[in-house]
Amino acid sequence: MKKYGLLLIFLLLSSFCFAEGLEYYKLYSPKDGMSADEIMQIKYFNKYSLFAKDFQQTGEVYYVEPNGAKRKRIWVRKRIVKAGKDGIAYKDAIVMTYPTEVKGLAVLTWTYEDPQRDQDVWLWIPSLKKARKISSAEDDDAFMGSDFTTEEVSTRRFEDETYKLIGEKTFEGYKLDLTGELKLANRPCYVIECIPKKPHWYYAKRIVWVDKELGGGIFEEYYDKNGKLFKTLFREWVWTEISSDKKYPSQRSLVCKDLRTGHYTVIMMKDTKYDQGLDERLFTVEAISQSRW
Amino acid sequence: MIKRFFISFIILVGFSALVFAKDYKENFSLAGYLKQETSVGLDTFNEVTKFKNILSLSGEYKISEEFTFFASVKGWYDAAYDWYAKYDSAQDQMGHIQRTYWLRDCYLDYISGPWFLRLGKQQVAWGQADGISVLDRVNPFDLTEYWLPDMADLRITLWMANINYSPKLNSNLQLLIIPDFEQSTSAPPDAPFAFRSYKKYDAWKKTPDFLGRKKNVREEIFYPEKKFKNSTFGLQWKDMIGDLTYTLNFLYGYYYSARTYTEIYNVGGNNYYFSRRFKLWRMYGASMNKTFTNPGLLEGITLRGDFAYYNDEPTYYGTDGSSQGVNRWDNVFWLMGIDKNIFTNWLISFQFAQYILQDAKPGTKTATGTPCVNLNAYTYGPADQVENIFTLKVATDFLHERLKTEVLWSFTDDNQGRISPKVTYELKDNLYFTVGIHYFYGNEQDSNGQFRDSSQFYTQIKYTF
Repeated sequence: MKKYGLLLIFLLLSSFCFAEGLEYYKLYSPKDGMSADEIMQIKYFNKYSLFAKDFQQTGEVYYVEPNGAKRKRIWVRKRIVKAGKDGIAYKDAIVMTYPTEVKGLAVLTWTYEDPQRDQDVWLWIPSLKKARKISSAEDDDAFMGSDFTTEEVSTRRFEDETYKLIGEKTFEGYKLDLTGELKLANRPCYVIECIPKKPHWYYAKRIVWVDKELGGGIFEEYYDKNGKLFKTLFREWVWTEISSDKKYPSQRSLVCKDLRTGHYTVIMMKDTKYDQGLDERLFTVEAISQSRW
Repeated sequence: MIKRFFISFIILVGFSALVFAKDYKENFSLAGYLKQETSVGLDTFNEVTKFKNILSLSGEYKISEEFTFFASVKGWYDAAYDWYAKYDSAQDQMGHIQRTYWLRDCYLDYISGPWFLRLGKQQVAWGQADGISVLDRVNPFDLTEYWLPDMADLRITLWMANINYSPKLNSNLQLLIIPDFEQSTSAPPDAPFAFRSYKKYDAWKKTPDFLGRKKNVREEIFYPEKKFKNSTFGLQWKDMIGDLTYTLNFLYGYYYSARTYTEIYNVGGNNYYFSRRFKLWRMYGASMNKTFTNPGLLEGITLRGDFAYYNDEPTYYGTDGSSQGVNRWDNVFWLMGIDKNIFTNWLISFQFAQYILQDAKPGTKTATGTPCVNLNAYTYGPADQVENIFTLKVATDFLHERLKTEVLWSFTDDNQGRISPKVTYELKDNLYFTVGIHYFYGNEQDSNGQFRDSSQFYTQIKYTF
């Protein structure tokens, strides 16, 4: 009986997470009266979809030059949330499907619970027909050539910044340049100031708008050490219906604009699926090595 | 017989799947490219050494959740071999794709739980080395352009059964049964990247004997008989200990080099008979990789390593420029690589390898009593017992990965090597332009140094669809 008790305690402990105090596979929304830290914990929890057991999405990425010229990439991304088993928070597999030049290129990433620990990253390189362990990218590297940095997409964590709640405001909406649509107009938000703990980082401060209902960060403003706004990041969050009584918040479109160069990156997500029962074997080096391209 | 069965089976399954497919469009994908490669000699800039037009087409059809059929074909024509009389003798081999090499891949994949089977014509890459084949010895290589093309293009694909079973997560047992046999190829004597060894042999053939008579040379190559017992067999075990991945490898079969075992007979007067046979060899090996992910001095560094023990590897001996025979030795090849991303967007990758021959000297003499030395297979130049090999790659990109740059420096402790800077610009999603240089330096007896007069400036235009 004693050993079952210990096992129960272990299971309970291991199901706690990443963002301290939040339990994996549960859905959280920010509430009035919460501190900036609590709101940001929920924001990160939702960003990495830790409420779901697994997740799959197709992303169309557009790199847009200041003159309007566009380049496109398409990827399929899968994620399995490990909930701290073996110290792993989640595993990601991204496979490029377009254009042909990068078709088949696959990136497998294991993210650990320990915020101090780097990710383990493997790459399937079609020109070598080989999966290679690679040195994880620097956090301020451009993510796959986009305007997003690696940490903005996948490595930034709750522990990386300090937070201050500035207030509550209504987000007026964001006009997507690609389609002309106005997104997330009149959304009540918490506005939070985030200061990076790393000294001399690529930004000195960012202001994050967190949607009160969806719990996702919908707009971010990046300021340099002179207090000048140099980058904006918009994330369109929507509800994805899982069943008649269950829905999850999902990111549908992302826009990152570099205000210094005028270049921007748009990611349009589609075919979002949760809790399909993805096999963990899909997140192994063997799986990416089975690529045919 | 086995090869024919393989081919018939794969083609039958592949085409029936296409014919009976109801949702053909949904599960079928096709991609390919047209590529133009031009290179010019770096010394004079007035001689085109390559004008190659390549078409590649690949198709994938998902038959069901478990089965997928994949095939890719490739064809090319190099017009440079039509333009110069000095290339005439190389035109046939270098001007267009050879034999059945046009069929690059043709296989059926089966995935179910822990099982993964790939049956058909394919390539298999072992090891963690980048551009150096320590464990990467499953497929033979097409070295007609030396080691300059991408590794995936260098490997000559073979018909095989590639059977994988994963007894637990992150581990894998792979069995390869390869009834097919091809020899590694090299450029003919008049091509820009012909090996010095081949050129020396060709020159010997063309040189009159001591009585001034033209030599009559008959060559015969004995391929392994097409029997199942002559198949190549490979076995790989892969597993993880913590975040360290390792493999244990074994390969047994016929050595792929066409010139590894030579029996030379002077059959009287100016008549010579060369009998070449492929010999069995074994490779025992291991590989590892690990990234230091915890905070500390080593954080962010990836270590990679390959080790191979070649049992009965055919190893040349003779005098500089002239092979006298082949020893079957137990040689060792090992490599350690270290990769690190530094600053923002800069990758540094360094490799050190040692190729260690069983003995410093072959212990034999020529007919005239000259002591023989170990020979470099590519050049017939004297080979060190321990060859130290280094590679350094620095890569970065600009303009949101639109402009990719890379410099590869490959060298040995004999002051010879190759420096290859390259820049690729993405004009559109499907249009790429590459410009680069392959600069060779060193002694003609050394692998890279032998091409010191073949340094080239090259361009590539690639249109993908």
